Amino acid sequence: MNKNKLYSNGFLIPALIVFGVFFLIPTIISFYYSMTVWTFDSAKFNGIDNYIMFLTDPSLSIGIKNTLIYSILTSGFKVILAFLLAVFLTGKIKTKNIIRSAVFFPNLVSTIAVGITFTSFMHPTKGLFNNILESIGLSGINWLGAGNIALYSVVLVDIWKGLSIATIIYIAGIQAIDRSYYEAAEIDGASKLQKLKYITIPLSVSARNSVIILSFIGGIRSFDLIWSMTGGGPGFATDTLASIIYKQYVAGYYGLSTAGNVIMLILIVFLALPLQKYLYRKEEAIQ
Amino acid sequence: MKKKITALLMVLTLLGGILNGCGNEQNSNNNDSGALVGQNDENTKEDTELLTLTVGVPTGYVTDGFEAVAKVAEEKLGIAFEIQPYSDAADSTAFKSLLASGETPDIVFYNSGSLLESINPKEYFLNLSSYEMLDKLDETFKDSVTIDGAVYGMPIGSSMGGGVLYNKSMYEEYGLTVPKTWDEFLANCEALKEADETAVIGSFGTSWTSQIVFLADYYNVVAEEPDFSKNFEAGTAKYAETEIAVKSFEKYSDLMPYYNEDNVVATYDDGCAMLAEGDGYHYFQLSQSLGNIYNLYDKETVDNIGFFAVPGESADSNGMTIWPSNAIYVNKDSENIEDIIRFLEYYITDEALDIYDEALPSYGPYHVMGYEPRGDAYAAVANDMQPYFDSGSIALAQEYETAVKGANCESICVEVASGQLDGKAAAEKYDNDCYKQALQLGLDWER
Repeated sequence: MNKNKLYSNGFLIPALIVFGVFFLIPTIISFYYSMTVWTFDSAKFNGIDNYIMFLTDPSLSIGIKNTLIYSILTSGFKVILAFLLAVFLTGKIKTKNIIRSAVFFPNLVSTIAVGITFTSFMHPTKGLFNNILESIGLSGINWLGAGNIALYSVVLVDIWKGLSIATIIYIAGIQAIDRSYYEAAEIDGASKLQKLKYITIPLSVSARNSVIILSFIGGIRSFDLIWSMTGGGPGFATDTLASIIYKQYVAGYYGLSTAGNVIMLILIVFLALPLQKYLYRKEEAIQ
Repeated sequence: MKKKITALLMVLTLLGGILNGCGNEQNSNNNDSGALVGQNDENTKEDTELLTLTVGVPTGYVTDGFEAVAKVAEEKLGIAFEIQPYSDAADSTAFKSLLASGETPDIVFYNSGSLLESINPKEYFLNLSSYEMLDKLDETFKDSVTIDGAVYGMPIGSSMGGGVLYNKSMYEEYGLTVPKTWDEFLANCEALKEADETAVIGSFGTSWTSQIVFLADYYNVVAEEPDFSKNFEAGTAKYAETEIAVKSFEKYSDLMPYYNEDNVVATYDDGCAMLAEGDGYHYFQLSQSLGNIYNLYDKETVDNIGFFAVPGESADSNGMTIWPSNAIYVNKDSENIEDIIRFLEYYITDEALDIYDEALPSYGPYHVMGYEPRGDAYAAVANDMQPYFDSGSIALAQEYETAVKGANCESICVEVASGQLDGKAAAEKYDNDCYKQALQLGLDWER
């Protein structure tokens, strides 16, 4: 009995070593380095100063605020819009497959390419969006140049890109719902809205939870789209944790950058994990 | 059967794609990376005699002067050059990655001063202190490339000044005179705005250009507080507490109503084009942009551009902030050190400087002592900038007096320029930003 266990556990060892060396150990070491002023030659311990800086220095703390806004907005809208799209795409339409491919297409394109494309669309004088707005008589919007709306412009693009995979997840979830529920409801004379509310929404809960968790964590970690569209600008208006961490790293403030990474880890652990637990508990309740 | 054939075809295509991508790396590198000085076929024929050195150059850098000298060097010294551009987008990231990756070209162009210090030159660049050719260079330049007593760089070209480039013919058209105080300057801008023109060009799409107002204003700070940088580095002087320093940031707020509509996304090239074509009338820039405009247009257009230093509070203390030339650094691990030195020694001879100056007129004085350019200088350099040098109303940019320069300087400047922050708040923010830099450098600052 013991020999068997040893033998089977032995197969885990290579994977554990890789995991340990590349993930566990650096994470633990980074807790130490995040509390130092680190140049690669030396690391001077300075307690929780780095963390205090992150919370008080406006150019750093704005990252935490923007990250939360960004992740909540993007995951919220993705969940709702993708669901509606998925319901539409699982109905009786002839061009279903073509539309599904079209919806999935943004996921295949590199995020940087999407960022560059939309940045040129959002150019204040030569961009497509403002040209359209002006041709119907409205004044153009300074999408990425005005500090107060730049972040929301990036959120819009992220939603556009993220809808693709969220919709696919939802489609899979909705298609897994047993037809017999709908038939039973029809016999009882349920309207479309009622079918949606009482059958589709409750029974697609596992798909919904996946979308919420994935898009929330993805939103917290989001970097490439923001970097390619605004570089964190104008000023610091669209800086999220990821871009701030990157900026500190590039400036050579390695200790501060590591502290930022630890803060991101804390955010994910203390926001996403409880969220996940809560959602799964509700999921169990429905099943 | 059909499925099997389709599958086989796809596998072959995939294999073909992989082999094409990986196998030909050497060939494609040689063909694609930048401009080869001299003819391609000449090189392959004389490959055995000609030595090819690689040069890392930031994109957006005008290399006409260097290329002209390199071409002559090919015949005289038997050295050809292959230019390998690296991105100069925000924060020198691409350059630092290039150095760290171990694929540094034989020589590289980069900034001097505190930027040099931040990339740890001891690790990557050759110490040139022992070579005699350094004796020909002026002290200002040598100081800017010396870290911990070791001299690392040779000047690429001329020094340059920072201030306001303006469109001379438009000034004439509107009857404006060169302002000697900041208020006079704003009055000029107001007059232009009323005529529905873009008074000031902003090109924050290329982030480093956003700091020029702040950096070029340094002369005015030093004129009133000569010891500012020394005290700043020691931690006793702060931007927020020094009135004349806060003014540097407040100038951005003053400029806000006069910027072009797309100032946040316009790039450096857009800005130069706007100035050259008369779509905007003032451009806070370094005089090296004259070279860029010369590259994009012609001598006549460039000569229509004038220059004046950033005006301060009074007409008496009007002076220009200058930057020594960017430098050529030698890769410590290059295999061709002797040939590189041979080339650099030639590079600062009068003959080479004449060739350089003819291809790319200077932006300011050269750093080789005793050399007088004989070519046709830009009107702005000869007529507008030279008087500042002659009368001694010049000051070295702050980054050459102290290594403490906040990494977020550009972003803070854009924040004020886009109205999210006022001058005083920006000064405080910049102090905090420099605090991080001071911490990193091991300076003892209080919070």
